[in-house]
Amino acid sequence: MADTEPEPAEREPTGPEPHDGEPTDLEPTDPESTESKPRGSEPAESAPDGDAVEPLSTLSLPAQLIIAVAIAVAAVAAAIHLSAAFLNVSPPNTLTKRHGAAIDDYVYPEFERVWKLFAPNPLQQNIAVQARAEIRTSDGGTATTGWRDLSAQDGAAIHHNPLPSHTQQNELRRAWEFYVGSHDVRERPQGMRGNLSEQYIRRIVMLRLGREEDGGTVERIQVRSATTPVAPPPWSDEKIDTKTVYRTLPWWTVTSDDLPEAKRR
Amino acid sequence: MTPSARLQTAVARGYARVTASALGPRQSAVVRIGFSFTWLLFLVREWPHRRELYGPDGPWNWDMAARLIDGNRAFSALMWSDSAVWFEIVYALAIVSSALLLVGWRTRTMSVLFMIGVLSLQNRSIFVGDGGDNLIHLMSMYLVLTRCGQMWSLDARRAARRADRAWPPRDTTGIVLWAVTGTALLWAQLFTEARLSLTADGPLPGLGWATVLWGLWLVQAGWWFVRRYAPGEPRTVSDALANVAHNGALLVIMAEVCLLYASAGWYKIQGSRWQDGTALYYPLHLDYFSPWPWLADIMASSGTLVMVLTYGTVIVQVAFPFTLLNRRAKNAMLVLLMMEHLGIAVMLGLPFFSLAVIAADSVFLPTNVLRWAEARLGRARDRLAAREVRLPGQRARESDEETPAGTLVR
Repeated sequence: MADTEPEPAEREPTGPEPHDGEPTDLEPTDPESTESKPRGSEPAESAPDGDAVEPLSTLSLPAQLIIAVAIAVAAVAAAIHLSAAFLNVSPPNTLTKRHGAAIDDYVYPEFERVWKLFAPNPLQQNIAVQARAEIRTSDGGTATTGWRDLSAQDGAAIHHNPLPSHTQQNELRRAWEFYVGSHDVRERPQGMRGNLSEQYIRRIVMLRLGREEDGGTVERIQVRSATTPVAPPPWSDEKIDTKTVYRTLPWWTVTSDDLPEAKRR
Repeated sequence: MTPSARLQTAVARGYARVTASALGPRQSAVVRIGFSFTWLLFLVREWPHRRELYGPDGPWNWDMAARLIDGNRAFSALMWSDSAVWFEIVYALAIVSSALLLVGWRTRTMSVLFMIGVLSLQNRSIFVGDGGDNLIHLMSMYLVLTRCGQMWSLDARRAARRADRAWPPRDTTGIVLWAVTGTALLWAQLFTEARLSLTADGPLPGLGWATVLWGLWLVQAGWWFVRRYAPGEPRTVSDALANVAHNGALLVIMAEVCLLYASAGWYKIQGSRWQDGTALYYPLHLDYFSPWPWLADIMASSGTLVMVLTYGTVIVQVAFPFTLLNRRAKNAMLVLLMMEHLGIAVMLGLPFFSLAVIAADSVFLPTNVLRWAEARLGRARDRLAAREVRLPGQRARESDEETPAGTLVR
């Protein structure tokens, strides 16, 4: 939590500070000082620009006190910050149960960590989000389009792409995670996040389908996910069912709020 | 030596060490360069998609972001106004501040603008980010507190040039930059919906963004004043305080990297796929993470190879924090981790994530390697300069200007 203390880090915007490499007689030649660890690395090369920097040990008492307090504050702040960081990524435990609210208050919104990469297990299924539309045709009738696999479009865009865009790799994939995380098994939204996630999915679908689809105007859309387990590796004798499982959401009526290009301002 | 005397010496040494200098000057420069480069590359790559990701064409529109931010109180300058022009300004500023932080021009100011750019864009659309964005988010805040421009920066070059002057210059550019940023902040505070508060809705409980940003701005002025008009003790104390903050922030950066690997490794140990040695096979067969299926097929063709890499990943991640106790072991682990992330960049199509992790790892690069790189780049620059001297005429004018390498490496 060195962050609570913005002040000392600020310095004149004109570059490095001069300082003497061996500031006090208290620091004998340290065999580790040429070591590679950053903490042990040598001080920056002196860039003397005329200001004489006094050895700290000759400072007046108030000056020494200010520095001592600053060190104490920085040490406590770093300790608090790192403790919160640790408890933020640790599994639920005695301390997080007791101080959960305080930890959350500290960590959110800016110091959240989403690091459980491929752990405890990597994702082992392809989750594709697909959509179809109910359209009003020019002759006044209605028709239903076939399912369009939006994730497959993402996959095609990522194929042979050394720098995939977040629009291809994260947008739909994470929107679906957001939806799943904010809905119960009967597709009921949980609070504001649930409602937001529905609108988000609708807007992504409409961004990709467009207002017109198969020669008609899109009036309603339906979304489903198709989950297909990755087959076990060829050398494994494991047998799993790789049949695709669908989760189909109810039909949603499309309103002007769901059209990304609708600029209401 | 009695134990108490020894303790006294140790305390005095520690005191001298954390106040006398900003430790790891090259390492912090590499971290600065690594993260600003990663974010800059990302912003340029997403330029065609910027309005969809963070702007007016996004499926996650401004009103939805406003509703979410009303709840979590995250910081985003994009929420100060819903105009498309403002969005373009913020995106452009994010690019410019990343580029200037990369070359180390006015590092202190640019690190703050860099942080504002990162938080503004990411918090505007939190559902398009991934682990790499998260790491950049954290580091952008830590970098504000580190003196990351001491080496390999335009700031360092400027400081070296005026080294023989007896008195710090007035620094007109700095004053202008300070006035401009202050005016912008005042505008945000008074005329927008910025909701910058002194004590609420800030990065930490009890600390508002108004305190942080105005505080940094005032410290900037204080630093200028002290350097120019109060050499001697106030100058020494300010320098020591800045060093303490830098060293504290650097410690936090290093600890966060350890935490990243420790948590990733410890959770993996509990996973059945990491135990049976097939874990790496699966991500390679996910449609969202397989840009080169044939490459994945080659790798997945050997069960032994996958098993070795799977176990190796867990071993290296769990072991990394402890190898810091031994320099050689640490360096070996660092090489393995960086190679693994280069692999991830290509195999799983996650270049920006991998670059961010490698930038964070760089804080542990050994000083002798960094010095070696510095010397090599310096020699390359000298050779370039020498060649330009030998080619007079057209080239002569260019040789007056510094080459890119020369601006970064003295």
